[in-house]
Amino acid sequence: MEQILANGLYLGAQYALIALGLTLIFSLMNVLNFAHGQMYVFGGFVTYTVVAQLGLPFIVGLFASAVVLAVMGALIEKFLFRPVIRKSKRDESTMLLAAGIAFFLDAVILLLFGEKQRGVPKVVDGVLNWDMRIIMPYDRILIAVLAIALIVGFILFMQYSRTGRAMRALAQDRVAAQLMGVDVDRYSMIGFALGAMLAGLVGGLLVTITGINLGMGGPTSVKAFLMIMIGGAGVISGAIAGGFILGMMESVGLTLLASYGDVTYLVIFVTLMIFLAIRPQGLMGKPWG
Amino acid sequence: MKRRVFLASSGLSLVLAVAASTAAWAENATLKIGFVGVTSGPAAAWGISNQRSMETRAAWLNELGGVKIGDTTYNIEIVPFDDQKDPKRAIAGMEKMAQDGIHYVVGPNVDDGAAAVRPVAEQNGIMYFPYAFPKELYTAPASNAILGMVANYQSGPAIYKYLMEEKGVKKVAFIAGNESDPLSQRDSGSAAAKALGLEVVSDTVTYQMDTTDFTPVLLPVIQTAPDLLVLSGVSPANAPQLIRSARELGYTGLISTETAQDAAVLAEGAGELANGFISVGGASTPELASDAMKEFVTRYTAMFGEYNDESNTKVYALEYIIETLKANPAAIDNVDEFKKTMDTFSAPNPFMVGDAKLTYVGTTSFGQKRQVSVPLVVNEFKDGKFETLFVAQVD
Amino acid sequence: MSMPRLAGVLAFLLGVFVLVPLVIGMTGRWDFYYTLTSVALLSVAAAGVWLTFYIGRINIGQGAYALMGGYVSAVLMTQYGVSFWLTLPLAGIFCAAISVLIGLPILRLRGVYFAMVTLVLTEVARLTALALPITNGAKGITSIPLPGELSVFGMTIIPDFATLENPKLAFYLMAALLMTLTYLILWRIVNSRLGHLCRSLQQNEELSASIGVNTAMLRVLAYAISSFFGGLAGAIFVAISQSIYPSSFVVQDSVNFMLYCFLGGLGYVFGPMLGTLLLYFGWDLLSIAKEYQLLIYSGALIALMLVLPNGVLSLLDKKGGRK
Repeated sequence: MEQILANGLYLGAQYALIALGLTLIFSLMNVLNFAHGQMYVFGGFVTYTVVAQLGLPFIVGLFASAVVLAVMGALIEKFLFRPVIRKSKRDESTMLLAAGIAFFLDAVILLLFGEKQRGVPKVVDGVLNWDMRIIMPYDRILIAVLAIALIVGFILFMQYSRTGRAMRALAQDRVAAQLMGVDVDRYSMIGFALGAMLAGLVGGLLVTITGINLGMGGPTSVKAFLMIMIGGAGVISGAIAGGFILGMMESVGLTLLASYGDVTYLVIFVTLMIFLAIRPQGLMGKPWG
Repeated sequence: MKRRVFLASSGLSLVLAVAASTAAWAENATLKIGFVGVTSGPAAAWGISNQRSMETRAAWLNELGGVKIGDTTYNIEIVPFDDQKDPKRAIAGMEKMAQDGIHYVVGPNVDDGAAAVRPVAEQNGIMYFPYAFPKELYTAPASNAILGMVANYQSGPAIYKYLMEEKGVKKVAFIAGNESDPLSQRDSGSAAAKALGLEVVSDTVTYQMDTTDFTPVLLPVIQTAPDLLVLSGVSPANAPQLIRSARELGYTGLISTETAQDAAVLAEGAGELANGFISVGGASTPELASDAMKEFVTRYTAMFGEYNDESNTKVYALEYIIETLKANPAAIDNVDEFKKTMDTFSAPNPFMVGDAKLTYVGTTSFGQKRQVSVPLVVNEFKDGKFETLFVAQVD
Repeated sequence: MSMPRLAGVLAFLLGVFVLVPLVIGMTGRWDFYYTLTSVALLSVAAAGVWLTFYIGRINIGQGAYALMGGYVSAVLMTQYGVSFWLTLPLAGIFCAAISVLIGLPILRLRGVYFAMVTLVLTEVARLTALALPITNGAKGITSIPLPGELSVFGMTIIPDFATLENPKLAFYLMAALLMTLTYLILWRIVNSRLGHLCRSLQQNEELSASIGVNTAMLRVLAYAISSFFGGLAGAIFVAISQSIYPSSFVVQDSVNFMLYCFLGGLGYVFGPMLGTLLLYFGWDLLSIAKEYQLLIYSGALIALMLVLPNGVLSLLDKKGGRK
């Protein structure tokens, strides 16, 4: 039992961090960023290149991922999403743009980093074995702690910094924020950059454990969508809750349903659908997103 | 106005691209060989290693002055098509091959694609070499597909038997991704293990292909305490993670798979935890590789920057096509001639030391010769390299 | 029907049923038949997605119904020996019935929530196909016969496809006919009372409910029609590939259907048809770019979106053309 909970917590921490970036972008601009998973993969490859190819320390790789993705996010917002949002009649039109960017990043990743699975050597060796009740390698613990630290840092930033407050105002009511003198364009750009940076950071963190390959983008986006749906789209606390809940669901579900074999994921997904049908706005979301 | 300029310029660039692609070399006649497989998206590694090994070999042969079939010397041109792992696209790819007058195609890489292209291939007289295992593709009345590698229901029993006798394995557990190919391979592997008298302690655990943490997936499997953990149809991307998670959970038994893997990927993803991992490969281990194989690896690396060990098994299909055409030049645009030649065809295997032969096999599994004879080389991973465990033949 | 509109319809029919076979016959590009057949079938499924957009729902679950329709047709043909022509409407009706069951609870959702549930639905459909015995699980159903003869009172209306010299042309004509009918129906719906009601849903659901529109009923009806189209398209694809696997229609297909609608233009009945043609055919043409195929394809997609964010058909708006 302890093992299952520990697995769930570890999974939840990484999921929550992925979902945070997605939900931030959604809350600010009402854009469902299909390219989020690809950004995560890109971040992973940047860390891989810095650490495994150039031989620099892991922390430098993480930093590089964060910077590269933040710049990429800012550029995407300024030159792609902003003009399209301005001109399109229906909000949803940005979905096509996001999907196009996802394809584009897939292509770029394939050309730049190749088709193979990549990974960097373990950051720390050794496995924590608490009396055979919890077995958890130290590097996983480290990554989980780092992820949680990042989540806490993000919450504090959103809560207390000037930029964070401006973004929350923007998320609550775009027009009102604008009338109060918030520079909407600027903070949308910062928000998008921040969201992309978070995706890149998770990629950088996880490349040490799960490695990275160009196929992980799409499925990661879908998983992140699920999490923000569980928690409630566009709500920071919801994304965190969603991440941990999905992590726990997988961990517990896999153990309980292992003997039923092929239906494990079917049950998980059907449960999700039923949950959403009963509670359409997720746990903490604004109804009707 | 701006919009018109954009449309015009994009149209122009398309035209230029078409023009550039048709301006090819002259001199020798050209023999086109097709490739329909997945070269983008999650499974890109399979198709790309496939396509690249074909392109490497073709460039090499052309550099040597082409291939003499009958009285004509041909340059080999590889015509690739990316099916995105979508069976609907694969059909379109096969149609394109038929349109180009191509009669020999390598691929598709997965079960659903291979089944979907069958009608097109049979209507248009195309022989194709899928890397998919369903038996109905190769047994009569189907007759245009040739299995391009060793199937898991052929290699699996050989590996299990070896491990039973040499390592005293008694209990086996299977784990597979929840997709058609891995699940089918798991089912046939589990049946083969039972037939050998092994105890199958777990064969129901599956995972989503996009799993990022395999610890919860593996936990119930490891608890059944198997001596051998079989990763059925595992993709090269998932293998290192599975191995790593299993070892970190304290599993000490053997781990094996029946698919080809890449040593560099294993080394990066699992490091020394992957030592002892058993997989199937081609003839590139130092003991078996001929000079031709070594040169192939060098040329591949020079062309594409990095070698992929999966290509060891994927170099063969093109070789079989060319050698069979040499043996019967009439087959160049007539697959019935090709099928006739297959029954008696034999040529030396250039990629392996010793006097190994290229022949068509598969009578035991399919009732007709619809499989290329590739040496079944079972490898063991050791410190970043593969070492040969044993070599067997399929009949 | 006004003169220019009539002329447009005639030009369309002429193009699809006469010009295309003629040009293919002249140029000898027989492979285009399959590509265009695919375009026609995918645009039938995309028409369904478009209809759900029309009631203000983002549907990323059409792949589920295409898969379902395909399996209904395949199972009926191989296990019960039903004629393909009968399985076609049955597949559609089955999908419509299932979609009512699923739609009743989930159509209460809106915006991204509905979108996400339908996205999950596609994966649920794939996993169900893997788990059920009747679908033959992971091994799929293969060696499905070609469509047989269809005759009424001994008169052959459609000959057995297996005896045809050119089944490709037959499949093309069938798909094109189906596409034409689908868009005719869609056009009728949009320009009827039902269409007006749907538009009212798209704009403001509460308001339309308050003036007495039975919104729940309307939503389910639109979704059922949408799923019917999805099932039809799936069934015909199965007949062409003569096989079906759980992975025959996946999440990527569902996403693509949605993209076709966006690209063509959500405000235009014929948007999904044009979107499908551009995206699907475009990908095929780009195969000459080899490893840069995806790069060019996605680059063009992004560029198109920047220039025409409301869909390609919004070009017509500027010239004051029809809607």
